[in-house]
Amino acid sequence: MISIHNIAKRYRTDEVETTALNGLSLEVKPGEFVAIMGPSGCGKSTLLNILGLLDEADGGQFLLDGIDVSRYNENRRAELRMEKIGFVFQNFNLIDELTVYENVELPLLYNGIKAGERKKRVEYVLDKVQIMHRRNHYPTQLSGGQQQRVAVARAVINQPAIILADEPTGNLDSQNGNEVMQLLTELNESGTTIVMVTHSEHDARFSHRIVRMLDGQTVAESVLV
Amino acid sequence: MFRNYIKIALRGLVKHRAYSFINILGLATGMAVTLLIGLWVYHEASYDRFLPDYEQVYQIKRHYTIEGETHTIEAIALPLVEIMENDIPGIAHVALSDWGNAHSLMVGETKLSSQGYFVGEDFLQILKYPLLRGEPATVLNDPNSIVLTEQTATALFGDADPMGQAVKLDNSQELTVSGILRDVPGNSTMQFSYLLPFSLLENISPYVREARNEWLVNSFMLYLGLAPGVDQEQITPLIENILAEKSPDLKPYDPRLSLQPAADWHLYGRYENGRPAGGYIEYVRLFGIIGLLVLIIACINFMNLATARSEKRAKEVGVRKAIGSKRKHLIVQFLSESLLLTTVSFALGILLVYLVLEPFNQLVGSEIRIPFDQPLFWLLMVAYLLLTALLAGSRPAFYLSSFNAVRVLKGGMQKQRSAVWGRKALVLIQFSCSIALIISTLIIYQQIRHVQDRPTGYLRDRLMMSEMSEDLNRNYEAIKADLLGSGLVEQVAKASGSASEINFFTIISNWPGRNPDRAHLEIGAVRASETYFKTMGMEIIAGRDFKSNLEADSHSVILNEAAIRQLQLDDPIGQTINWNRNQNVTIVGVVKDAILLSPFTPVHPTLFAPSFNHESSILYRLSPNVSPREAIPQLAEIFDRYNPAFPYEYQFADEAYARKFQLELLVGKLAGLFAGLAIFVSCLGLFGLAAFMAEQRRKEIGIRKVLGATLMQIWLLLSREFLLLVLISCVLATPLALYFLQDWLLQYDYRISISPLTFVLAGLLALIITVITISFQAIRAGTARPVDSLRSE
Ligand SMILES: Nc1ncnc2c1ncn2[C@@H]1O[C@H](COP(=O)(O)OP(=O)(O)OP(=O)(O)O)[C@@H](O)[C@H]1O
Ligand SMILES: [Mg+2]
Repeated sequence: MISIHNIAKRYRTDEVETTALNGLSLEVKPGEFVAIMGPSGCGKSTLLNILGLLDEADGGQFLLDGIDVSRYNENRRAELRMEKIGFVFQNFNLIDELTVYENVELPLLYNGIKAGERKKRVEYVLDKVQIMHRRNHYPTQLSGGQQQRVAVARAVINQPAIILADEPTGNLDSQNGNEVMQLLTELNESGTTIVMVTHSEHDARFSHRIVRMLDGQTVAESVLV
Repeated sequence: MFRNYIKIALRGLVKHRAYSFINILGLATGMAVTLLIGLWVYHEASYDRFLPDYEQVYQIKRHYTIEGETHTIEAIALPLVEIMENDIPGIAHVALSDWGNAHSLMVGETKLSSQGYFVGEDFLQILKYPLLRGEPATVLNDPNSIVLTEQTATALFGDADPMGQAVKLDNSQELTVSGILRDVPGNSTMQFSYLLPFSLLENISPYVREARNEWLVNSFMLYLGLAPGVDQEQITPLIENILAEKSPDLKPYDPRLSLQPAADWHLYGRYENGRPAGGYIEYVRLFGIIGLLVLIIACINFMNLATARSEKRAKEVGVRKAIGSKRKHLIVQFLSESLLLTTVSFALGILLVYLVLEPFNQLVGSEIRIPFDQPLFWLLMVAYLLLTALLAGSRPAFYLSSFNAVRVLKGGMQKQRSAVWGRKALVLIQFSCSIALIISTLIIYQQIRHVQDRPTGYLRDRLMMSEMSEDLNRNYEAIKADLLGSGLVEQVAKASGSASEINFFTIISNWPGRNPDRAHLEIGAVRASETYFKTMGMEIIAGRDFKSNLEADSHSVILNEAAIRQLQLDDPIGQTINWNRNQNVTIVGVVKDAILLSPFTPVHPTLFAPSFNHESSILYRLSPNVSPREAIPQLAEIFDRYNPAFPYEYQFADEAYARKFQLELLVGKLAGLFAGLAIFVSCLGLFGLAAFMAEQRRKEIGIRKVLGATLMQIWLLLSREFLLLVLISCVLATPLALYFLQDWLLQYDYRISISPLTFVLAGLLALIITVITISFQAIRAGTARPVDSLRSE
C-alpha cells in the first residue's frame, strides 16, 4: 500500500537547517493499522504530511499502491488526496463557517458527487459517528470530542483507502479519546489502512504495529497482534 | 459547488460585519463614482448623435492667418452659399444659420422671450431634428413662418392646436406656425425654442441683403448635408481654397475652409493653427481617467483587506487542500466571493448614483439619466461588474490559493513577505493618486482665485444690463430719462455689447508709424454712447471721454491700453488711424484696460467708437442706496412701458462676470469631489488595514503593555508604517499632479506659477486625515486592558 524508502526532508530557515527526516524507510500493508511514536520534534508530523501528499520530500522514493508519486504535481496530488486519503488532525481543522453536515459534505462536492447520493452518504457517516443530531450545528458549538468525530466522518466520507491521523486524541480527554479510537478501530476492521501519530501508549495499543522514531529515523518496531 | 462557495461567502460577510461593511462601502463608492463619470462621459460623447444621419452633417470652419497666427472661426461670407449649392458635387443640402438670439414671441397677451435661430430652408433636412407636425422640406419655405418646439407651443397656445396660428415676433412680424419640433434634448449643441426662416432675416435686415455678395462680411454659419456615401475627404479638397480663388482681397490672409463633422462639434471645439486641437474632450478624458483611478483605489481596498484577512482564512484553505481541493477550485471560490461582494456593492452603487444624479446634474449642468430601459446598458453593467470582480478578486484569489497546506494547518501562518510588500505597494498607489487629486484641486482653485482677483478695469457693483429690442432702441432717450428720473439708477448707457462681451471684431489697417511689413491689427470694437465709460466705471487715463454731444465726436475713437501697446503709439492722443479699411478717425482718449472677454487671457485690444445706431445692450447702474430687490419690480414697470413685447430681463454684471469661470469652477468642483471621494475610499481601506494590523498584534501589544509601554509608544508602533507610506505617497504624487496640471495651466495666458507650498499643504492634509484614520485603531489597541488580549490566546 505505502512504501517509502530512504526519505529525507530538511527545513531551511534563515540561519539554521533542520533535518526533519533523515533517510527514513517505512512499509505499510493494506489494512494495517500503524502507530508512530517518538519524542517531540523527531519528525512524525513531517512524515505524515509527506505520506498524505501534503508535503514533498527532498529525496527518496515514495510508492503509493505501487506507483511512484514523488514527482506528481500539485494537481495530481490533489486528485490522489481526494481519492485515496483521509486526514484527521489533532486540532480537528473543521471549517468554522460551515455546519457539521456541510463540513462532511465538502469532499463529496470536490469529488463531483450528485446531490442525492451526497445526502445519503453524509447521513450515513454522521449516523455512524453518532453526530446526526448535531448536523446543523457549527463546529464552534461542539465539544472537542464531537468535533473530532465530525473530522473523522469527513475523513472517511470519500471511502479513502488510507486514513492519516496526527495525534487525533491529543486535544481530547480520555473518554472522548477512547470514542475516537473506537471509531478508528472500526474503520480499520472494515478494511481501511490507518497510520496514526500519537504520544499515548494507551492509544498506540489499538494498532497492529508501533513504529518508534528518533531524530528523523525509525529506531524500533513492535508488532502487537 | 458554487452554492457552497456562495454559502461560505455569505456567512463570512455576516460574521465579519465590520470588514464587509468597509469593503462594500468602499467598493460601492468607487463603483458609483466610476459609473457616474461613465454616464457623464457617455453623455458628453453623445452630443448631436441623436440626429438621424448625423454622419453626413458638417459645419464649415474658416481659417485665416495674420502675422503667422492662424485663427479659426465659424463665421462665413454669404456668397459661399451659392457656390456650395451649385458648384460642389456631393453636397445634398446647404443651410445658413445666425448665432442664435433671444427674441420675443407673442400670442395675444401671452409673451415669452427665448432663444431661437434664423436658419436656411434646408436646415431640417441637414440637422434632422424630429418634426412632430409639418414636413422637413417645406416648413421653413415661407418667410413668415415659424417652427416651434413642443414646449414653446404649449407655453404659447396651451392645449389648442398651434398649427397655422399667428405668432408675433419682436412685436413687429406676424408669423404663422408651420411646424412643431420635438423638444431639443440637452445633448444638442444648438439649443433653441423655435426656428425662423433665414429669408425672414433677409427681409427685415437690410444688412443681410447687402451682404449677399460681400466677401468681406462674415456673419453667419453654414451647415452642409453631404449626399449619402459622400464623405469629408471627398469634399474638403473641393472647397479648401474657394476663398482665395473668389476673393483676391482675402489672399494675404491665406484663407482656407474645412469641414467639421457633427459628432465633433461638442468635444473638439478648439482649433490651433487651423487644425482641431481638442477642446472639451480633454476634460472628458481627464475625468475618465480619474473615474478609473477611483475604481482602482476601491479595488485595492478589496485586495488589501482580503489578503490581510487571509491569515484568518488560511486554515480553511489548508483544510480544503487536505481533502483534495485543487488550486483552481480555490481560485474559483475566492473569485466567486469577490463577485458576490462586487454585486452587493454594485447594487448599492447604482442606488447611490440614482440618489446623487439630480444634485450631480445640477452641479455640472447636465441632463444625465440612467438608461435603465436599454438592454445595452445592462449588458455593459454586467461586463463592468465582472471586470470589477476580477480586478478586485484576482490578487486575493491567487494569493490565498497559493498557501501551503502543511504550513497553514500547523497554525502559525508566517507572514509572507511578498504579501506585505504587495500590500504596501498598493497603499502607495492609492495614496499617490488621492494626493495627486488633492494637489490638483488645490491648484485649480488657486488658478481660479488668481484670475478672480485680477482687476477687471470696470466696476461690476450694482451694474445691470438688458438686451435692447427695436422698441427699446427707438425709445432709448425716453427710457433713459425715466430711469434716471426714478432715482433708482445713477447712470445709463447703451453699447453694442454688454459689459461681458465684445460682439464685433474688425481691423485697424493703418496707423502712424506702422511698419509696412506688418499686416493689420485685429481689434475688438464697441460702439458706445457718450455715457458708456461713466456707466461702466472705466477710467480714461489719457485724453478725454466722448463729448456729451456725440455728433461732435463722430470721427473720434477711444482705444484701450492694450490697443495702444499693440500699435506702439508713444503719443496716441490726436493721432489719426484707419479703421475698417476706409474710415479715418482720431484717437481722442485712452481708457484703462477692462476685461470684457475672458479673464484668463490678456485684455483684447479694443476700440470704442461713438454710437449712432441701434445697439444691442442697455447698461445702467443702480443708485448706491437702492436695494436691487425693491428696484427690480419698479425697473420692470419702466421697461414694460417702452418694451411691451418683451418680458423684463436683466443681468447683473458681477454675475455675468462670474459665469466666465463656469468651466473652470466646474472642473474645480469635480476635481474636488473626486479627490474627496478618492481619499475617503483610500482611508476606508486604511482603516480596515489598521484594524487588522492591530488585531494581529494584539498579543504583542498586550505583552508590551505589561512591560510598561505607554499609549504613545503603542500608537507609534501601529502608525509608523502607515505614516511612512503616506509620506512616500506625497513624494510620488507630486510629479503625477505636475504632469497633468502643467498642460492644463498652459492653456491660460494669465496663470499662477505652481508653488511648492501647495504640495506641502496637500501632503499635510493627507497626513492629518491618515493620522485620524489610523489613530482610532491604534488608540483602541493602546487603551485595551492587556489581560483581555493575553487571555484570548
Ligand atoms: N516549517 C518548518 N520550518 C522549519 N523547521 C521545521 C518546520 N516544520 C518542522 N520543522 C522542524 O522539523 C522537525 C520535525 O518536526 P515535526 O513537526 O515533524 O515534529 P513532530 O515529531 O511532529 O513533533 P511533535 O510531537 O511535537 O508534534 C522539528 O525539529 C521542527 O523544528
Ligand atoms: Mg507533530
